[in-house]
Amino acid sequence: MLPDFASVIPESKEDALAYLSSLKSAKIFAGGTDLLVKMRRGESYSHIVDITRIRDIKVISDHGETINIGALSTHYEISVNQIISEKALSLAQACGWVGSPAIRNMGTIGGNLVNASPAADSLAPLLIHDADVVLESKDGTRRMRLEDFILAPYKTDIQPHEILTFITIKGLPGYREGYKRVTKRAAWAISRLSIAWAIQEKGGFYKDVKLAIGSCTPMPFRPRKVEDSLKDRAKDEKTIQVAVGEIIDEIIKVSGMRPSFVYKIPVVKALLEDILKG
Amino acid sequence: MKKIDFTLNGKQTILDVEDNETLLHALREKLDIKSVKEGCSIGECGACTVLIDNEPHYSCLTLASKVSGHDVKTVEFLGDENLLHPLQEAFITYGAVQCGYCTPGMLLAAYSLLLKNEHPTDTDIKEAISGNLCRCTGYIQIVEAIRNAAGLCKCNS
Amino acid sequence: MVGSNRKRIDVIDKVLGKPVFAGDMKADRLLFAVVYRSPRPHAWIKSIDVSEALAQPGIVKVITGEDIPGKKQFGVIKKDQPCLAEGRVRYVGEPILLIVGETENAARKAMSSVKIHFEDIEAIRDPFTAEKSGTLIHEDGNLLGHRKVIKGNVERGFAESDVIVEHTYSTTWLDHGFMETEAGVGYLDDAGRIVVVSSTQNIHYKMKEISRVLGISEDMVRVIQSTTGGGFGGKLDVTVELFLALAVYYTKRPVMMRFTREESFVSNTKRHPLYIEYKTGAKKDGSIQAVKVTIIGDTGPYISYGETVCLRVAVHSTGPYEVPNVHADSRMFYTNNPVCGAMRGFGVPQLAFAHESQMDAVARILNMDPLDIRLKNGLRKGSSTATSQILHDSVGFIDTLKKIEPFWRERKKSSHTSGFGIGCMFYGCGNTAISNPAKCHLRLTDDGKIALHSGVCEIGQGSDTILWQILLETLKIDEKNVVLVRGDTDTSSDVGSTSASRQTYISGKAVYEAARKLNRYLDEKGYYRGRSLGDICEEARTENNVIFDGYFDPPTTQLDMETSEGAPYATYAFATHMTEVEVDDKTGVCLVKRVHAAHDVGKAVNPRLVKGQVYGGVAMGIGLALMEEFIPGKSESLDNYYMPTSMDMPEIEVFIVEDEEPTGPFGAKGVGEPALIPQAASIINGIQDAVGVKPSQLPCHIERLKKLIEEKKSERRQEP
Repeated sequence: MLPDFASVIPESKEDALAYLSSLKSAKIFAGGTDLLVKMRRGESYSHIVDITRIRDIKVISDHGETINIGALSTHYEISVNQIISEKALSLAQACGWVGSPAIRNMGTIGGNLVNASPAADSLAPLLIHDADVVLESKDGTRRMRLEDFILAPYKTDIQPHEILTFITIKGLPGYREGYKRVTKRAAWAISRLSIAWAIQEKGGFYKDVKLAIGSCTPMPFRPRKVEDSLKDRAKDEKTIQVAVGEIIDEIIKVSGMRPSFVYKIPVVKALLEDILKG
Repeated sequence: MKKIDFTLNGKQTILDVEDNETLLHALREKLDIKSVKEGCSIGECGACTVLIDNEPHYSCLTLASKVSGHDVKTVEFLGDENLLHPLQEAFITYGAVQCGYCTPGMLLAAYSLLLKNEHPTDTDIKEAISGNLCRCTGYIQIVEAIRNAAGLCKCNS
Repeated sequence: MVGSNRKRIDVIDKVLGKPVFAGDMKADRLLFAVVYRSPRPHAWIKSIDVSEALAQPGIVKVITGEDIPGKKQFGVIKKDQPCLAEGRVRYVGEPILLIVGETENAARKAMSSVKIHFEDIEAIRDPFTAEKSGTLIHEDGNLLGHRKVIKGNVERGFAESDVIVEHTYSTTWLDHGFMETEAGVGYLDDAGRIVVVSSTQNIHYKMKEISRVLGISEDMVRVIQSTTGGGFGGKLDVTVELFLALAVYYTKRPVMMRFTREESFVSNTKRHPLYIEYKTGAKKDGSIQAVKVTIIGDTGPYISYGETVCLRVAVHSTGPYEVPNVHADSRMFYTNNPVCGAMRGFGVPQLAFAHESQMDAVARILNMDPLDIRLKNGLRKGSSTATSQILHDSVGFIDTLKKIEPFWRERKKSSHTSGFGIGCMFYGCGNTAISNPAKCHLRLTDDGKIALHSGVCEIGQGSDTILWQILLETLKIDEKNVVLVRGDTDTSSDVGSTSASRQTYISGKAVYEAARKLNRYLDEKGYYRGRSLGDICEEARTENNVIFDGYFDPPTTQLDMETSEGAPYATYAFATHMTEVEVDDKTGVCLVKRVHAAHDVGKAVNPRLVKGQVYGGVAMGIGLALMEEFIPGKSESLDNYYMPTSMDMPEIEVFIVEDEEPTGPFGAKGVGEPALIPQAASIINGIQDAVGVKPSQLPCHIERLKKLIEEKKSERRQEP
């Protein structure tokens, strides 16, 4: 049973923003795959603003160094998008693992970010692509780093009158890139942990390494210090051992020693070693 | 209250729905399409699967108001007693049905796959129905049925 | 007809989405009822105030335990479970009130207006605490049942053994996970009788319970089975039926109930968590000399099928092996956890995990091949079971091993972390050591047809089709001359429940018996020499000779109360599964890649349906072995209770062994539960073969498996 609410279905961004600035306790509704579950379990809003008819925030466009992903792009659309597959493979792969085929058809990347589940599959890939989010309101547009946007698990910086309209990522063409996750069931499962990577190597040396580890820290973790230290380092057993050790230390520093780490730490360690070895 | 105007199984349909009404509820209670089943109401079983613009969607997590202007298909679209769809024939022949509760959703997920992919591999098939739980069959005979139907049916036509 | 892959008789409707499940029913002025359930595991109910709930818009009636006109308790084995709790609640989810509203929304909204004052009592959360605690869940104490199986002298057996292997195993709660949640509709018929149409595995039992609880005679109650979306044991106990009957009794209007998935999870019975201490003694040549098993089970606060499971696990504790000295001790304790009941196999899948792990452990110590040790000890014609029952007929166990043998001998690891495991089982078809007859009848109809009146509940497994095939085979008649009248207490006799893998064997035999009588009659009347059926029906009517009964009660004996010696089942099913797994030792993910499953079903009335059961059993076995774990208070719905998807499924090859059972219809026995029982065991043994760890707890999910792998690694490091 869903609680009572009234909905508005604006046809344009301007109309949507106007509704949001005038309504109290309004919630933006996109795919509904998270929101309706929460509402069924007790969350309630007097109004929802269904933004799915706003066409221009559904497109994915290539701007050379960056890619603009409309927030209403579904997981399915991202998973099969040519541009994303070429320049942000880990994101395409991650979106292809979200939920089930129907969930991927329904759920949007914007909704996924605003929901801000620490286990969301799209987060780790977006982080290694230095994603920015674009937030629009009647008063203007602001852009912020995804890392700053997500404040805590299930909590973001979005304001009640704002819509997350676009996500901008940096393309990493030519990188060895991928996404790996571990689940208790072969499909249609929440990630127990996940790793996105994009690595550039030349002649046995790391040129650029980007890693993000999901579900170990409140927000997927980008070990920037280790990434920097790997630059121009020879790709050998010892370098990898040391780097992985440092990443694990940093994760524990961020989260403290959680009970789940009995499982997660050895897994992350083994997977990171594999990923860095390539 | 919203008035929605959509295509349901090929027919234009106009309907008044509540703002908080799911498509599942509208189909079952207002349009009497009981083949769309409720199994969990949180998008975790697939019994309520319908096709919207030929792609599987969970009607329990779809607000009815969203389908205005869209094409909605339920299992009734596929065939009737006089002319079963090849997928339905294959489900019968290969024993893909036991209790029958997941069957309508399963058939729709399979139909959507065959629209896009006339020669799916077993992995394609398993992926396509991975959002539809079945507790009876272990999926094996369902996969068999879909594999065999794929060769026989031109879903596009 | 028997032995053919006839298509299911209900299948055309099912692919068209046409069957009317209980929740699809319609009626004028249909009310909706919901259950208010205890949020506390163990508490006194100090006061109940429903005045505010009753004043909510659209609320027609609120029913409490005090309003129950007849007996207030129900139960499939013993009547111990309150229909609506009065004074005390004993588990989270226990029904306290029934709220009947004009609509589902009205009824659900009124739930928040109920005011109940509870005073908590210490909650008993495990059977070990239950055994020792001074807090008694029932006046008689916290022990529900204690059964033993004693054969030979187990201590002497161990003394004569060259090797002894001792391990403990544990399993947890599982949900049936049928896709259709519990649902039903009740109404008054024109004669003022209470009619309940519901998703169920047993109409006659439910009819009797309604009559008791309403305090009205059985002929004033009618129960009809709606199309049922899976059961697996979870629709054997009363679910919605008594509530519907009460609501109709008070409102005189049609009433619907349909549990949400959350409600189904919190209210439905669960698979019993078992703690199993297992000691096996064997000679150097691999012959098992002695088995000692101590089983402690958590049955929850009410009996349901707890006693049945208590005995069945003891009787099956050795697995399908001849063991001269056996001591099995099985105890079930009450706790304030979910009520545990029947779930596909009545505890035997848990035991199979233990006895099959033991067989592999013994083989390992003796450096014997796991298949060889099973061939050596396996039950065969003339063998004596743990209850000293001598098996005379239909003992196809060795044949199931032989079917698997070529694949086993030729198995090759595809990687250093892949492995192969064998799981075996035997399973008594029918209820344990009690009379459990089935009765049906055939009728010659006024319009010149033969009607089969059957009370068998088809729950998706295909029993209607099986009975149909048995009938047509026996009568040698075209199926257009036959109609099935089914699933209605008004038109059929009691066949017992759809449980214990008994319908093909027992009800199938009853149909066979009825058909034989009719067959002789038709023969006498010249049907097989060309006389028309219409003509014969006409004549039969004038002779008042239109009904032909069929009855079968499998021959069993009562078991000795101390040793359980006796013949608890008339026949047993046997099976061997071989499973190939691939373990990712980095993540603990275990993929089930391929299963070879051989089943002795006596006679496959419909091989495709047999295979369907095995495939489904393998899926459920994967869940049991690797992912399914119902955690009270945490597992709310399908988002935190994972059941296998299509992507979790291996390739499966099924081999059917037909060692005919002389008392069964055309030699058939059961397969529904056997399909599941050996699967988890074979996966677990495969894991050990793959990565050398011995899982002792189910499910062996990724975290448990990774932990075992890590422990093994650190052991290795510590070795000099």
